[in-house]
Amino acid sequence: MEQQYLTIALSKGTLLKPTVALFNKAGLPFEGVSEDSRSMVFDYEQPMIKYIMCRPTDVPTYVEQGAADLGIVGKDVIVEQGKDVFEMVDLRYGCCRFVVAVPEEIKNNKLTDLNYKRVATKFPVTAERFFRDQGLQVEIIELHGNIELAPLMGLSDMIVDIVSTGRTLRENNLVELVKIMDSTTRLICNRVSYRTKYERIQPLIERLQSLAKGGNS
Amino acid sequence: MKNREVPKGLRDMLPDEVKVKRNIERKASRLFSSYGYREVITPTFEFLEVIESGAGKKIRGELFLFMDREGGILSLRPEVTVSIARLASTHLREEMPQRLFYISNVFRHVQPHLAQYREYWQAGLELLGAPGPWADAEIINIAVRLLRDLGLGRFKISINQIGICNALLEDKALLAAEREQIRSLVESKDLVELNRVLENMDIEDGWKETIASLPILHGGLEVIKRIPYIEKNRAASIAVEELLQVYEALGQYGVLDEIMIDLGVLRRLDYYTGLVFEGYSPDLGYGLLGGGRYDRLMEQFGFSCPATGFAVGIDRLALVLKCRETEPRHCLVGGKDMARVLKRCQELRQSGLVVEMDVLGRGSKELLKVAESRDNWSLEYLDD
Repeated sequence: MEQQYLTIALSKGTLLKPTVALFNKAGLPFEGVSEDSRSMVFDYEQPMIKYIMCRPTDVPTYVEQGAADLGIVGKDVIVEQGKDVFEMVDLRYGCCRFVVAVPEEIKNNKLTDLNYKRVATKFPVTAERFFRDQGLQVEIIELHGNIELAPLMGLSDMIVDIVSTGRTLRENNLVELVKIMDSTTRLICNRVSYRTKYERIQPLIERLQSLAKGGNS
Repeated sequence: MKNREVPKGLRDMLPDEVKVKRNIERKASRLFSSYGYREVITPTFEFLEVIESGAGKKIRGELFLFMDREGGILSLRPEVTVSIARLASTHLREEMPQRLFYISNVFRHVQPHLAQYREYWQAGLELLGAPGPWADAEIINIAVRLLRDLGLGRFKISINQIGICNALLEDKALLAAEREQIRSLVESKDLVELNRVLENMDIEDGWKETIASLPILHGGLEVIKRIPYIEKNRAASIAVEELLQVYEALGQYGVLDEIMIDLGVLRRLDYYTGLVFEGYSPDLGYGLLGGGRYDRLMEQFGFSCPATGFAVGIDRLALVLKCRETEPRHCLVGGKDMARVLKRCQELRQSGLVVEMDVLGRGSKELLKVAESRDNWSLEYLDD
C-alpha cells in the first residue's frame, strides 16, 4: 500500500514548546517548528508528515472534519467543544484546571448560595453543564478574554475559567471556590483517519503513550 | 427576509448534484437487485412508539416529532431498518429469507456540518430470516462491491462482533450504567477516560487490559490472537469464532483487501446484536456506510427472526466520488425556420442525443457562445 501523508494540527501558544520537545523525543521531525515563523504549514517530505499551526480552539475542528488526522490540544478545549474525535493519549503536560472563582468578599459562600447568580466565562458549555449537574441555574455571560475583569466591574458575581498557578486569580482578588475538573494536553484523532491510516497512526500513539507515562516532558 | 430562508440543515439539490445522486442510486439498485433484493418503500413518518421500540430511547433527542390530530406522537423516520422490520413482520412473514432494499431520505435533528444534513439520503438493504456467517458475509460483500462499482479508489470496511465486548462486560458484576459507560468509551475511542475508569475498578488486571485494548485492536486475523483473556469467557469465544467464520467467508468472496477487523466498532444504535461493520474513505473525515446483525429487532414487532443489513450515506458518497457516468453528447439546435429546427431536433433525439431547441430565435454567434460555455455541448445551426 502506498505511503500516505500524516497531518497533525498543533496548538499555538503555551502548549507548543512542550509539544516540540515531545516530538523531539519521539523521533518526529521538529526542526524549524515555531509560531514566529511566517508559514503556518510545516511539511517534512521524508517521514511524510505535515504540521499545521492552529489556534488551540480550532484544533478539534480541523481534526473532526478530517483536515488534520491528529491534533494536540488541551482537554479543556475538547470538553467545551464536544467534537466527535477519538481521544487517544494523555500527554500529561499543560496541566490546568477548570474552577469556579468568586471575589474575596464572598469566599465563604457555598456553591448553592450562587443559584441564579451570573457567571462570566470563556467556556459557556462547561460552566452551564457543571451548574446544571449540581441542580443549580446560573446566568452565563460569555466573554472572550480577561474574564477576571467581569466581577471587578460588577458584570458578574463569579467566573468559570481555567487556571494553572492561580496567580491571575490572586492578583484580581478572586478565590477558587470549587474545582470543576483537571485538564491536560491530549492527542486526538479523526475517526476515519484512525482506520484508513492505522499503520502510521497506531505506532505513533504507542510511542507517545509510553513517553507520556515515562514522566513529564 | 424569511421568504427565501431554508430550515437549518436542509438544502436544495441542483441539477449537477442530482445527477451524481441518481447515478449512485441507479448503481446501488442494479447491484442490490442482482443479488435478489427487492425494493420497498416505507412511510416518511411513523409513530414514535415504533421508532423507539426498535431504535431505543437514546435516539429521541435526534427525532423530528409532531402530533397527529388524534393525539398520537409521530416522528419523521430517522433511519429505515426499524420501519422495514415492522413492514416485514406485518406483511412478509410467510417466506424466509427475505431480501429487501430501499433508497430513502431520513431525518435527524443533529448539528449540521460537512456531510451531515438534517435530511439526508440512504441506500440500504436488509437480509431477513437468515442467521449465520454466510448471510453476514453476503451483505458485507455487497457493500464492498458497491463502493468498487462506484469507482471509489481506496476505502476500508472495519468489521467486529459486538458480542465480544458485550460478553466481556457481562463477565463482571458491573452496574448497567457502568457497562454503558465503558461501551461508549470503547466506541468513541476515548482511551484516556477509559483507562481512568478502569483504573478505579477493583477487577483483575487481565480483564482490564483486555477491555483497554479493544479500541486499538485493529488489523487482520492477528488481532484476535492478541486477546488471550477471551478464551476464559465462553460467550466471547463464540463471538470470536463467528467473526472468524465471516472473515473466512469474505475471503471466499475475494474482498479481504478492503476488510479490517476493528474490535472498537460497536455502532451507536441499540438494536445490533452480532457482527457489525462500518466503511470509510480516506477522502472524507466521516463514515460512509454502516450496518450489522440485529437478531432481536423483529421480535419487538411480534415476529422473532434473525436479520442483518446495512445503509450507505448517498450524500457522503457523492462528496468523495470523482468519476461520473459517461453521458450522451448534448446538442443545441437553432435557426430561423422553426419547422426545420424542430424536425432536426427530433431526428437527433431519436439517434440518442440530448437535444435542446433554441426557442428564443437567437443568432448563430450567440448560440455558439452558449454551447461553448457548457460542458459536453455542441451547436447545430440551420442556415437558410
